[in-house]
Amino acid sequence: MIRDRRRLSDLLPRRRSLWIAFLLLPAAAIMSVFVAWPLLSAFRLAFYRFDGLMPSDFVGLENFRQVLTEAPFSDWTWNALHHNVIVFCALMVLENGTALLLAFALLKALPGHRVHQVIVFLPVVLSSVIVGFLWKLFLHPLFGLVNQALALVGLHGPAWLGQESTALGSIILANVWHWVGFPTLVLLAGMQRISKEVIEAARLDGAGDGTLLLKIIWPLLAPSVTIVTILTFIGSFNWFELPYIMAGLTGSPGGSTDVLGLYFYRTAFGSTTTGIQDFGQGSALAVLMFLLIAGVTAIALRLLRRREVEL
Amino acid sequence: MTAAVTQAAGPALDRRWSVQTGAIQALLLLNAFIMAYPLVVMVMSSFKTNAEIFTSPFALPQTISLANVEKVWTETNFVRYLANSVGVTAASVLLILVVGTMAAYAIARYKFRFSTLVLMFFLSGMTVPLKLAIIPLFIQLDTLGLTNSYAGLILVYTAMGIPSAVFIMTGFLASLPRELEESARIDGASELRVMLSIMLPLARPAMVIVAIQNAVPIWNDFFFPLILITSDNLKTLPQGLTVFMGEFTTNWGVLFTGLSLAALPIMLVYIALSRQFIAGITQGAVK
Amino acid sequence: MNIWRIGRVALAAAALWGFAATAAQAVELSFWTWRQEDKAAYNELFADFTKANPDITVKFESFPDESYPTIVSAALAAGHGGDVIHTHAYGWLEQFVKAGYFVAQDQATVPSLANMPADALIAGTYRADGRVYSLPFASQTLGLFINKDVFAKAGLTPPKTWDEFLTVSKALKDKGIIPLANGLGTSWFNEMFVAIFTNPFLGPDFVTDLTTGKATFKDPRYIAALGKLLELRDVMSPGYEGIDYDTAGQLFVTGRAAMLAGGSFDIATYRAENPQISMDFVAPPTPKAGDPGTVTKFYDGGYAVNAASPNKEAALKLVNWMGTKQFGDKFSALLGNISPIKGVVINDPLLAEVATLNQTAMPHINVVYFRFQKPTGSELLQGDITKMMAGSITPDQLGADLTAGVAKWYAPFQGK
Repeated sequence: MIRDRRRLSDLLPRRRSLWIAFLLLPAAAIMSVFVAWPLLSAFRLAFYRFDGLMPSDFVGLENFRQVLTEAPFSDWTWNALHHNVIVFCALMVLENGTALLLAFALLKALPGHRVHQVIVFLPVVLSSVIVGFLWKLFLHPLFGLVNQALALVGLHGPAWLGQESTALGSIILANVWHWVGFPTLVLLAGMQRISKEVIEAARLDGAGDGTLLLKIIWPLLAPSVTIVTILTFIGSFNWFELPYIMAGLTGSPGGSTDVLGLYFYRTAFGSTTTGIQDFGQGSALAVLMFLLIAGVTAIALRLLRRREVEL
Repeated sequence: MTAAVTQAAGPALDRRWSVQTGAIQALLLLNAFIMAYPLVVMVMSSFKTNAEIFTSPFALPQTISLANVEKVWTETNFVRYLANSVGVTAASVLLILVVGTMAAYAIARYKFRFSTLVLMFFLSGMTVPLKLAIIPLFIQLDTLGLTNSYAGLILVYTAMGIPSAVFIMTGFLASLPRELEESARIDGASELRVMLSIMLPLARPAMVIVAIQNAVPIWNDFFFPLILITSDNLKTLPQGLTVFMGEFTTNWGVLFTGLSLAALPIMLVYIALSRQFIAGITQGAVK
Repeated sequence: MNIWRIGRVALAAAALWGFAATAAQAVELSFWTWRQEDKAAYNELFADFTKANPDITVKFESFPDESYPTIVSAALAAGHGGDVIHTHAYGWLEQFVKAGYFVAQDQATVPSLANMPADALIAGTYRADGRVYSLPFASQTLGLFINKDVFAKAGLTPPKTWDEFLTVSKALKDKGIIPLANGLGTSWFNEMFVAIFTNPFLGPDFVTDLTTGKATFKDPRYIAALGKLLELRDVMSPGYEGIDYDTAGQLFVTGRAAMLAGGSFDIATYRAENPQISMDFVAPPTPKAGDPGTVTKFYDGGYAVNAASPNKEAALKLVNWMGTKQFGDKFSALLGNISPIKGVVINDPLLAEVATLNQTAMPHINVVYFRFQKPTGSELLQGDITKMMAGSITPDQLGADLTAGVAKWYAPFQGK
């Protein structure tokens, strides 16, 4: 008896479209109403001059011009952008590099690995308020553990969060501590999907850990690496909570920890201690951030996905 | 490679193996210490007064005083806030998983016109600081009658979690092999059946990642509840704890206690989920 | 009894009861503020108000300070928000008034305005129409905290002039005590630090010159005053760049430091942290002997009525009551703040001293004059001061940056 051979292509196009629409609609609807529409309304305000809290005249690209080319606003913009780039590069190397090593270490399933797997992720669940404050305590110039430890070996530790040269780095380190568990898990999941036969074959060929990691695992890890890279990029350019807690809304000291997220927030919503809101300028900044992040993400995604397919 | 070669390489591999194993275990232990020690400090600080936190932050507390816990209990509606946080987080994560996975499935497993555009639409939600839209969002929720309600907050969190959920799920779902799908269809299974019984179980680890990745920021968020929720009995836990942040004085000891207590449930959820995670992984890898 | 008679009596009773009920319509006002710490005090004050006005109850709602402007803007934009809203002053207030969110207060609706001194009213006035939109609630004074016990133990007397300050500091350092608890770790506290120590060297004439444009921040007086700050680097603890507001307070309160440049708003806080502390609040060091001490003063804000409130009349009543001497006396006693209301009696000796110092105080320049538009004087100063203290820019450069930035909107500086 020949059974009905049904393939996807056999489905009536109309039924197929309905099915796809059914799958897409709820998410699209929720996002449109609660994200897309409010965002577009806010973006629209970037083209208006704000005097106080209400938009007044339509000024076209004036806010954009000011934020990109007029001092001191442009100084702040480029300074912040510069720091975001530093944060991204640092996190890719420090956070994701460490995550790769940790994931590999966990992959080996050595005794105690389950406990380690839990511990590595515990900081991730903490609120940034706790993490920020804890690290401020550790880095405190007078009684912080870091300086106390340095004193034991005769070194004099600086005011980590008070000096322009060390402030950003300190916050980045706190961020690595906070978040490294997440890429570790994603990469571990990716590694565990690699079939055991491939790994065993490589071991039989005499591959050591280093070769295994670089030549076998790393290429096959491409999908997970894509996810981690894109999320790190977006996270770096939207960075807000940790610098807010550890350095304050103005990116002290002297703007050395200022990033686009902080700059946008205090422009759009003001700060009780520096003054006033300029929602038009804030929206312009947000539009620029969106164009930058979305643009780079789209390109990066293309490139990274291509790499996945090739392998 | 013959057995003889393997045997010959055996002892050498073993020796290298144990040195490397030792090094790796050392790395893991160091990491565990670095991760766990601040948590110990956090718990110790919960028993200290504000002054003690600043003068001897790393010493053991002078007295195990439960004064901070008492303050959190009496000055905030702790249990109520906790219940609200649990409800809002669970409902949001569930909704994100359901609608996000559905959308990701459509994009990943079916070729259709505009599929790339649709993906970019969803992803764009991740690329912009959503706080920008808080005022139009507030006005919109107000028009819909959703301010100061669970539903409003849940829908906002869901909308914010969909982009990353779609991103992660699309990645995983797209990499699943076609053969399973096709053979199930040939056997007469409907699309729904194919999705629910065959493909989704394989994507469980991804769903766990999405769940954790959304549950944590939603649980810890206090910005959106501050703006959208005004009734005391609807407040979430982090929002409720902001009462200890004064203009000039912040009672760090009490705030720490509150935040430590708030971190406990989500930690337990993660520990429970991580077992699931490991189980899900091994199932997938054997393929 | 005739059923009709019972009926009529019942009807009359019902009518009377109904009439009484509508006449005494209970109104619940909501009071919004960022002063989370003051809940208990305000509730007590509001209880007094309800005793005098039984048909009005007040609900206290507080929000964290940093999110307060966002929360208030969002609520007001949607036509909601508390009936009475606690506001900051000067430029902060203007943004909201320009959007039409607050009700103008005048003699007819808020007679208590007459109880306020002129400079207090300026804090709550909208410059464009000269009307008051926020009834002032407190002034804050910036000066020098002295730990009397530490000085007594060290056998030293608190300094009056700048030179004395430096000599005493050296002596304190030799004894292992940190002379000045301050650090540069918190931006807004840095701005107060600058104001406290430079104002005695600037003098009130300089402020007048700033308002007319006769002087800008490039003026030699300002540059010289900034230069004085550089001398303070030696009297603060090593690592001071990272010492934040909380830590500075702790250092002072625990006696590890002898002095702290801070605000009167912290008197109550420090007392609460260390009830045994014996402290004084004095004027910062003067340029030379015989000069009167100059503290810095600003008004911190006031109480405004929401234009979208359905209970405007009741709200205005409440605001008016918060301008009476009765309120002011209790407010100062409970909260340790100096109420601007004329005739208020301050019983606390330390606070009374501060009130006396206020009479010869200078304004907190950036807060009072330069927070009206972007870029504000505060953002420019807070960004540059750490650089200056670290030595990467000179006082001249700071003055130039400040002038150029503010000149974008401050007419008297334009073209200078």
